[in-house]
Amino acid sequence: MRRNIFLTGATGTVGSELLRRLAARDDTTLNLLVRRTGYDRRPQIDYGLRGVRVAATLNLFDGDLCDGDALGLSPDAFNSLTRTTTHVIHCGGSTSFALPLAESRATNVTGTARVLRFAQQCERLESAAFFSTVYVSGMRRGIFAESDFGDAGNGFVNSYERSKAEMEEVVRAAIADLPILLFRLSTVIGDSRTGTVHGFNALHHAIRLLYQGLAPMVPGMPSTPVDMVSSDYVAEAALHLIDNQAGCGVFHLASGERAAAIGDLLSATIESLMRFRPTWRKRSIEKPLLVDLDTYELFVRSVEEAGNDVLRNATRSIRTFAYQLAHPKVFATRQTSEALADSGIAPRPVLQFYPQIVKYCVESNWGLQRC
Amino acid sequence: MPTTRLLEIDSDFHLLDMTADSGYDIGIDAVATYLPAATASLAELAMRGLLRGSVETLSSFGFGQVHLAGEQSNFQMAMHAAEKLFSENDIDRDEVGAILYSTALSSSATMWNPPRRKLPGDGVLRLDEIDDLFKYPASRLQSELDLPRASVVGINQIGCASTFAALRIARAMIAGEEDLDAVLCVSADKFPPGEPRDLVYNVISDGASAALVRRNATRNRIVACTQVTKGALWDGGSLENEIVAAYFPTAKSVIDRTLSKARLTIGDISLVIPHNVSARSWEILGKLIGCPPHLIYTENIECVGHTIASDNILNLETATAEGRISRGDYLLLFTFGYGLNWACMILEH
Ligand SMILES: NC(=O)c1ccc[n+]([C@@H]2O[C@H](COP(=O)([O-])OP(=O)(O)OC[C@H]3O[C@@H](n4cnc5c(N)ncnc54)[C@H](OP(=O)(O)O)[C@@H]3O)[C@@H](O)[C@H]2O)c1
Repeated sequence: MRRNIFLTGATGTVGSELLRRLAARDDTTLNLLVRRTGYDRRPQIDYGLRGVRVAATLNLFDGDLCDGDALGLSPDAFNSLTRTTTHVIHCGGSTSFALPLAESRATNVTGTARVLRFAQQCERLESAAFFSTVYVSGMRRGIFAESDFGDAGNGFVNSYERSKAEMEEVVRAAIADLPILLFRLSTVIGDSRTGTVHGFNALHHAIRLLYQGLAPMVPGMPSTPVDMVSSDYVAEAALHLIDNQAGCGVFHLASGERAAAIGDLLSATIESLMRFRPTWRKRSIEKPLLVDLDTYELFVRSVEEAGNDVLRNATRSIRTFAYQLAHPKVFATRQTSEALADSGIAPRPVLQFYPQIVKYCVESNWGLQRC
Repeated sequence: MPTTRLLEIDSDFHLLDMTADSGYDIGIDAVATYLPAATASLAELAMRGLLRGSVETLSSFGFGQVHLAGEQSNFQMAMHAAEKLFSENDIDRDEVGAILYSTALSSSATMWNPPRRKLPGDGVLRLDEIDDLFKYPASRLQSELDLPRASVVGINQIGCASTFAALRIARAMIAGEEDLDAVLCVSADKFPPGEPRDLVYNVISDGASAALVRRNATRNRIVACTQVTKGALWDGGSLENEIVAAYFPTAKSVIDRTLSKARLTIGDISLVIPHNVSARSWEILGKLIGCPPHLIYTENIECVGHTIASDNILNLETATAEGRISRGDYLLLFTFGYGLNWACMILEH
C-alpha cells in the first residue's frame, strides 16, 4: 500500500536525514510542511537531496507550526492532507537553547498540539511519530528510562528542555487515541560514516570555542557521560521503528550506557584539532578544566560582570547546556535496543567517529565553507 | 657541582629547571619593597579619568586603592627598595656578585623618554641624540648602591613574571658559578602617567622590590620553579579574551607541575603568596587548585593593588612580618605576565 507521509522539519538536521532516506522509496508520497518564508524553499530541499535517487513523489506545502490550527495551510491543502496521510512524522521544532520560554513553547508545545489535532483528523493514519529530546529529563541525575517522563521536579537547564517536556505532556495525552511513537534523541553530532554535519548545534559551537581558545572550563567530572549519536543512526533507527513498530512506544535514540565521558571527549577534541589543523598546536590552547558547579558559576558571574561581549557571549553559549554536565545521567535504551534487535541498527561508539566530526567542523569552518 | 638540565623543551613550553633536591640551599634570604607614599582610591582614580571600568565592579573584585609614583622614576623606586634591603639585613656589599634588574614595562628598561629632539637634517645618527636609550638603570644602581663586584643583567619582556624569571635565573647562576654566592634581584615599574590604571580586570599600582638570592640561604629555599610561555598570545591587546580564557587552565597546570616537581601536594602548602590580581580570580584559582581561601594571602590586594612585578615579594615581606609564616613552611608563589607567561615557585621558609 502506498504511504502518504506528512513530514515537518525536512529542512532541519534530523528531518533532512529522514527526507534523504524516504525520498529514495518509490512506494511513498512525501508531503512536506515547510515553513513559509516568502521565498521558494524547493531549492533548499533539492540541495538536501543531492546525491539521492529520488523515487518518491515529493510535494511541498508552505505552512507554519505557529500559524493557527491549520498549520498555516490553506483549507484545501489541510483537507486533502487529512484525507490521504497515512503517517505523520513531526520533526519540526524550535531547537534554540536561548529563546524566551514563550517562543520555545509557541513552536514546540502549541505547534505540536496542532500537529496532533491534524493527526487526529487523518482518516487513514497508521502512525504518528514525534521527535523529542532525552533532555526532557532536565536536571535529574542517574538513570532516565524510556518509561520516565519529565524533570521530576529538578528543573530544566534551558527553555528548550522545558518546552520539549511540556510538548511530551501534550503528546502523552493523545496516546490513547493515536498510534504514537515518541523518539527522544540525545545530541546528534553528524554522520558516523563521513563526518558530515548537516546542522551545527551547541556541541559544534562548543568545539569552535575550544578551537578559538575561549572555553576555559566546563562543569563536570572526567567520567561524566555526554550522550551523543550520529545522524545516520537516528534516521535509520527512527524509520525502522516507524516501519515496523506496532502500537505506541517511547524510544531513546541515544548511546545510553555506551556514552563517552566528557574527559575523553575533551581529549579527543584536542587531539583531533591538532591532527586536522596542525598549526593549531602553536596556539598552545589548554584542555578546558572540568570544575565543580560552584567554581563554574563564579567564573560565569565574573565574566558577566567584567568581561567584554566576545567572552560574555562565548561563556553564555556554553552555559546554555553546560549545566547538564553538572547533572550526570544515563539514558536507558532497553526498549529501543529490543525493538531494533534484529535490524542490525545500533549506535556506533561516538569516539570511533568523533574525530571525523571535528575534522568536518574545522575543514568547513563550521559550515561557512563547503567541503 | 649541580647541573642544570633542560626539563622540557618544545615549541610551546620553555622550561629551565633544576632538580628539586639539587643539594644547594639556594634561597631568597632577604626581601624589601618600596611603595610610593601617594595613594589614590578607586573613586579618586575614576574622578581623574584613570579608570575604564566601574568602581563598583573593581571593588567587588577586591581592589581599594593604588600607590602612585608621581614625579618619582622607576630608578628612584628601585633604589629605595634596594637601600631598604641593605639597611634592614646583614648583607656584605662585596658578597653581591650580580644584579638582575627586571622590569615588566619596556619603558622601564632604559632611561629613554621619547621623543626629545629631532634628528639632524644630514641624517647622521649621533649617539647624543639617542643616548638615553643606552643609559641603563641596572648599571646606575650598581654604582649608586656601591656594589663594585656585581655584574648586571636586565630582564624584561615577560611582564609581571619578570621578578620570577630573575629569581629563577639567579638560582641557576649561583648553582652554576662557584664564585657567585649572592644575586640581587631588583624590580621597579611605573605605569605610564595619564593611562587608565585598570588592565584586564586589575588595578595597577607603582612600586619596587628587591630580593637577595643567596647560596646557603637561611630561609626561603627555592624548591622548584616553572615558567610557561605561550608565545601565540604575545599580542595582549588584540587577544584579551583568549588571554582571559587561557589564564585559569594554564595557571592550574603550571601550579600542578611545580608541585609535582617539588614532590609536594597542595595540602603541603602552608600559604599561597599570590600576585595582587583580582581577589575574585584568586577565589576561582583557589577552587581549581584545591586551596582554601584562608591559605591564600590576598591581604594586599585591596590596599596596594597590582604592582606589576613586585607583588609576590611584597606579599612575602608582609606575610613574614605579620608572623603568618613559620620556619619550614612551604610557600607557593604564583604570577602571570604578558608575553604570555605563567610562573610558579615553591619556597621552603
Ligand atoms: N539535532 C539534535 O541534536 C536533536 C537532539 C534532540 C532532539 N532533537 C529533536 O529533533 C527534532 C528535529 O531537530 P533538528 O535538530 O533537526 O532541528 P533543526 O535543525 O533546528 O530544524 C528544525 C526544523 O523545524 C522547522 N521549523 C521550525 N520552526 C517551524 C515553524 N514555526 N513552522 C514550520 N517549521 C518549523 C525548521 O524549518 P526552517 O528551515 O524554516 O527553520 C527546520 O526544518 C526536534 O524536535 C528536536 O527537538 C534534535
